[in-house]
Amino acid sequence: MGAVGIVLSGGRSSRMGAPKACLEWHGSTLLARTARILQRAVGQRVMVVRAPGQQLPELPADVEVVDDEEEGLGPMQGVAVGLATAQDDAELAFVCSTDLPFLHPAFVERVLDGFTSEVDAVVPHARGHRQPLAAGYRTALAPTVAELLAAGARKPAMILDACHTHWLDEATLLADPRLAAVDPQLESVRNINVPEDYELARAEPPPQVTVERFGTLARNGQRGARTIEAATLGQAAQAVDLVLDQHVVAALNGERITRDTQVPLVRGDQLAFLSADAGG
Amino acid sequence: MAGGYFNQALLVDLGTGTGRTVPLSDQVLRAYLGGVGLGTWLLHELSDPAVDALDPDSVLAFVFSPLVGTPLTTSAKFAVVARSPLTGMLTDALASSHFAIAGKLTGHDAIAVTGRCDRPSVLLVDGDGARLVPADDVWGMSAAGAEAALSARLGGGWRIAAIGPAGEAQVRYATISHDGRHAGRGGLGAVLGAKGLKAVAVHAATKVAPADPEGVVAAARDLRARSFGPATAKYRELGTLSNLLAFNAINTLPTRNFSSGRFDEAPLLAAEELHDLRHVARNSCASCSIGCEHIYATKGGGGARVEYENVYALGPLCGVSDPDDVLSASARCDELGIDTISAGGTIAWAMSCVEAGLLDAPWLRFGDGAAMLRALDEVATQTGIGPLLAEGSQRAAERIGGEALEHLVTVKGLELPGYDPRTLPAMALGLAVNARGADHNRSGAYEADLGGELDRFDPSDAHVAAAIGTEDRAAIMDSMILCKFLRGVFDDPFDEWAELLSLVTGWHMDGDELTDTARRIVLAKRMFNLRAGWTPDDDGLPDRLLDTPVELSSGRTATLARDRLETMIATYHRARGLDADGVPTASAWDDLHLSGTPPLPRTTAAR
Repeated sequence: MGAVGIVLSGGRSSRMGAPKACLEWHGSTLLARTARILQRAVGQRVMVVRAPGQQLPELPADVEVVDDEEEGLGPMQGVAVGLATAQDDAELAFVCSTDLPFLHPAFVERVLDGFTSEVDAVVPHARGHRQPLAAGYRTALAPTVAELLAAGARKPAMILDACHTHWLDEATLLADPRLAAVDPQLESVRNINVPEDYELARAEPPPQVTVERFGTLARNGQRGARTIEAATLGQAAQAVDLVLDQHVVAALNGERITRDTQVPLVRGDQLAFLSADAGG
Repeated sequence: MAGGYFNQALLVDLGTGTGRTVPLSDQVLRAYLGGVGLGTWLLHELSDPAVDALDPDSVLAFVFSPLVGTPLTTSAKFAVVARSPLTGMLTDALASSHFAIAGKLTGHDAIAVTGRCDRPSVLLVDGDGARLVPADDVWGMSAAGAEAALSARLGGGWRIAAIGPAGEAQVRYATISHDGRHAGRGGLGAVLGAKGLKAVAVHAATKVAPADPEGVVAAARDLRARSFGPATAKYRELGTLSNLLAFNAINTLPTRNFSSGRFDEAPLLAAEELHDLRHVARNSCASCSIGCEHIYATKGGGGARVEYENVYALGPLCGVSDPDDVLSASARCDELGIDTISAGGTIAWAMSCVEAGLLDAPWLRFGDGAAMLRALDEVATQTGIGPLLAEGSQRAAERIGGEALEHLVTVKGLELPGYDPRTLPAMALGLAVNARGADHNRSGAYEADLGGELDRFDPSDAHVAAAIGTEDRAAIMDSMILCKFLRGVFDDPFDEWAELLSLVTGWHMDGDELTDTARRIVLAKRMFNLRAGWTPDDDGLPDRLLDTPVELSSGRTATLARDRLETMIATYHRARGLDADGVPTASAWDDLHLSGTPPLPRTTAAR
C-alpha cells in the first residue's frame, strides 16, 4: 500500500468572494491543477473531498470525488472523511487545501519521505506557519480524527497534538537537494486567500521547463534542449510547434509518457517529445 | 484453388538431392496463411521437434505468403522457420526482397530442406525442380560475396539466400542473408551450415494471380499512398536508429549488460547526429514504398546498414561509444553473417563476467571497441574466446557455471533486444512468454508502454491485454506477410488485413476470423515448443532484471518485481487458454478448430 492524495475543496472562500476551486489557472482551474499535481506525486490515486452540494469544476476522470455530508465542521471534517475513505487503499495520505497554486510534486514527495514506522503525521513548518493542510497523515488516524471531531475539535492542528507528529522545518526541507533546486522559497505552501493574492499569483510567469525534441521531430534545426515557460504540457507542445496526436508523445522527466495536454508543469520539469511509433 | 497460392510446398532431401511435393490444402493455408504461421504448421508436419537443430534430420523452411508477388507495398518478404540451435525452440525470422518473389514463383508456397549435403553445396530451385550444385568455390565467403559470385555464375534471374562464415562454422546465432538483409534471430544460418548448404538459389518459373486483380491494384494504390504518411516518417527519415536517443531520454536503453538504462555517450551514436555526418544512402526492399534502410559511411570508405538494434547491441550494451567501432562491428557482423543482437548480447555478457573476475579475458572490457571487434573476429576464426562466445551467452554461462549465470540476460536462451523491461511492463511480459524468446518483433508490446495510455511503472491487466494484442497483430503481419513498419497506417488492422487477404485469395475473410487465426498461430508455436522440451520455467525473465532496480534520470528507480511479472504471466496464460503451467488446454485448442480447420499433426501436448 502506498500513498494517496486528498484535496479539501469544501472551504467557503468567503474572503476570496468566489469559490477558490473554480478560479482559472492557465486554462484550467485551481482545483484541477492541485489534484493533478498530487497525481504526479503519488500516482493516480487522488480524491477531492467536497462540501454538501458543492459544485466542482471539471476534474480528471480518474480523480475520485468524495462527499462530506456534514456541513460547517471545517477542514478537520474533510480530513476525517478523506482519511476514512482512503484507509482501505493506502497507508499514507498527503492532504492539502485547494489554494496552493505553486505546490510542487517534489515537496509532496519530500513530506511523504518523512514517514517512519513510528510517525503518524509529517507536517512542514514553512514560510512562518505550521502547514497542517499541506501535510502527510497516516490513514489509520481516521478514527482518531473522528473522535476529536466528536469531542468538538475543529482545527486540523489539533490532530497533531493527538498523534506522533514529525515536523519538517525549512532547513530540513531544503536539505533535500531536489526540492531545494526546484522550490527554494518553498512556494509550495504559498496559499491565496483574497483576490489580490490570486491576481499576484496569476500574474507570475509560468514555470520554466526544459524541452527537447527527438528523432524525426528534431529535424530542420530543432535539435537540442531549450528552456521555455509553460504551465501545462499542451502549452509546452505548442511552444515548440508540436501537436500531441497519435504520432507524438511526451515523456515527463524521463518517466511518465503521456499525450494529456492538461498535465501541469512545474519548475525544473524536463520534457522529451518522442515519436509514438516506437520500435523497429 | 485460392488466389495467391500454389497449394504445395517443396521438401528437398539434401542427402539425396531430390525433392518431393507436399500438398497444402486450402484448409491449411486458410488456417495458417503463410510466412511464420504456415512455417510453424510445416515444422509440426515435417519435422520431429525433439531432433536437435544441427542434426541432419532437422527441417528448415523458407516460407512465402499469399501477398508475395502482388503490388501491395512491403509484401516481398519471406520467413525462415526451424528449430533454433540457440534456444532449442521454434525460431522464425523474416527477410525481404526479390528472393521472396522468385522463390514463390518457383511454384511453391514454401521450400523446405532436410538432411545433409555430402559436400558444400548450393540448392537450386526453378521450373526444372530442385538440384544441388557444388559450393566449394564460395565456401568461406561472406554471404554477400557468395551471393555475388553465384549470381555471376548462374546468370540473370537467380535470387540467392546465403550464409556467411559464421553459418558454416555453426555459430549458434548465425544468419541467413539475402541482398544485405538478414533472417537474423535464432541461428538459422547455423542450421544451413550444419547441412553443408551455403545457399539456396531460386528462379521464377511461373506466375500466380490474385482472385481479384483489379481490387488488389486499387488496394495497393491506397496502401502505397498511406505508406507515405506520418506513421512511417520515422523509418523513412532517420530509420530505427532514431530510437536510440529517445530511449536514452526515458531510461530504457540497455547499457553495459543491462546495468543501466541510460548511456551517457548515447549522443555520439544518435541518428540525429550521425545522419548529417555519415549518411550516404537510403534503400528499399523490393515492393516497398517506405525505404527504411539507411546506409552510413564507415571508417575506411565502406558503408554499414544501420538499425537501432545493431547500434544498441554493439554500442551501449557493450559500453562502446565510438561510432567507427560500432559501425565497423555492425559491418563485420554482416560479413560474417551473425545476428548483431545476440553477438552484442553475448559479448556484453562476457565483458560483465570479465569485470566480475569470472572469465579470464582481461582485454575484453566494457567500452573498448577494439576488444569488441577482436571478440567478433575470434568468433569468426574460432580462436581464443571465440568458440565459447559462438555458443551464445546462455550455453557459455552454463559452461562456466556459478556466478556467470547471474550475468545472463536472455529469455529461452535468446539475448534481449534494446528495451529495458524494468521500465516497460507490457514489453516485459511480451519478452517473457514469446515462443521465440526475448524478441521485439513477435511481441512489440513496447508500443503499449510508450503509447501514453498505460503506466510504464505499474503492471496491470491492461498491460497483459496490450501484450496479447500486439502478439496477435504480429502473428498475422508475419504470416500474410506485411512489414511491421507499415502497422501504424491501419486504423482497424484485422478487418483491413482480412480485406486484403480476401482480395488476393478470393476467400471471404473478416477480422474475427483473423483474430482466431492469430491465436491459432501463437498457440501452434507454443505447441511446437512443448514438443521440443519447453518447461514452465522457460516463460520468464532473467534474475538479473527482477527485483533489481534500474536508476532513472530523475534520481528515482524502477523495479520489475518478480511477483508482479508472475501475476502478469498467469493472467496471460488464462487469457490465452493455457493452464496454470502455460500448456494449451484441449478446449482452447479445439475452439480454434471449430470452423473445420485441420488439427496440427501430433497435437499430443495439449492437455
